[in-house]
Amino acid sequence: MADSMDDELSLPKATVQKVISEILPKDLAFAKETRDLLIECCVEFIHLISSEANEICEKEAKKTIAAEHVVSALEQLGFGEYVEEIQKVAQEHKEQQKSREKKQSKFDQSGKTPEELQAMQEELLRKARERYETNAELQ
Amino acid sequence: MAASKAYKTKFPVARIKKIMQADEDVGKVAQVTPIVISRALELFMQQIILASTAKTRERGAKRVTVGHMKQAVMETEMFDFLEEIVGRVGDVGGEGSPKEEE
Repeated sequence: MADSMDDELSLPKATVQKVISEILPKDLAFAKETRDLLIECCVEFIHLISSEANEICEKEAKKTIAAEHVVSALEQLGFGEYVEEIQKVAQEHKEQQKSREKKQSKFDQSGKTPEELQAMQEELLRKARERYETNAELQ
Repeated sequence: MAASKAYKTKFPVARIKKIMQADEDVGKVAQVTPIVISRALELFMQQIILASTAKTRERGAKRVTVGHMKQAVMETEMFDFLEEIVGRVGDVGGEGSPKEEE
């Protein structure tokens, strides 16, 4: 019974197929059966890394599995050669987060609520309209 | 846009997180973690595919079969965790399913 639940937690075939096409040499083909086996291996890989990362996380008395835990897990499990790439991705994500936070904080630092900002904008528009109409009359 | 386009997450991050959390022991997961695992997964796929194609070429075949993948797994120490999964598959040149020879 537990097995059928796990079956739903697989990777999208189309995505996997795309990655296969990018990696496979042009003169070779990948049997469909082989692709399905590959997907099973991928899911198993995720379980393996997650489980190890989770243990490492717990040993550090932390509650959330972070990138460093995944890095340590990869090293422990013999996938140390992946670590450099992983660290690049983690760094990129950190930088994207920072730039998102910067934009958000600029908005927050105006010290006004969205409603207040909207009211201010409407007031400015109203004044601009008045000026325009006054000018129009004078012409 | 400052965002790097050199690497875009290929695998659905939400799905990876679900797979991780299918393990009851796994609790909270940082936002970056499934993204990092997605990249590791790509590298893993690359490695196992290329190991398999080496077997395909050894046999002068044009189609990568499950038998080739099984052999690649058996011969690579870091793929030991996959032995049970590939164990179910027939061997190359052995009985295997008729589809293998397609």
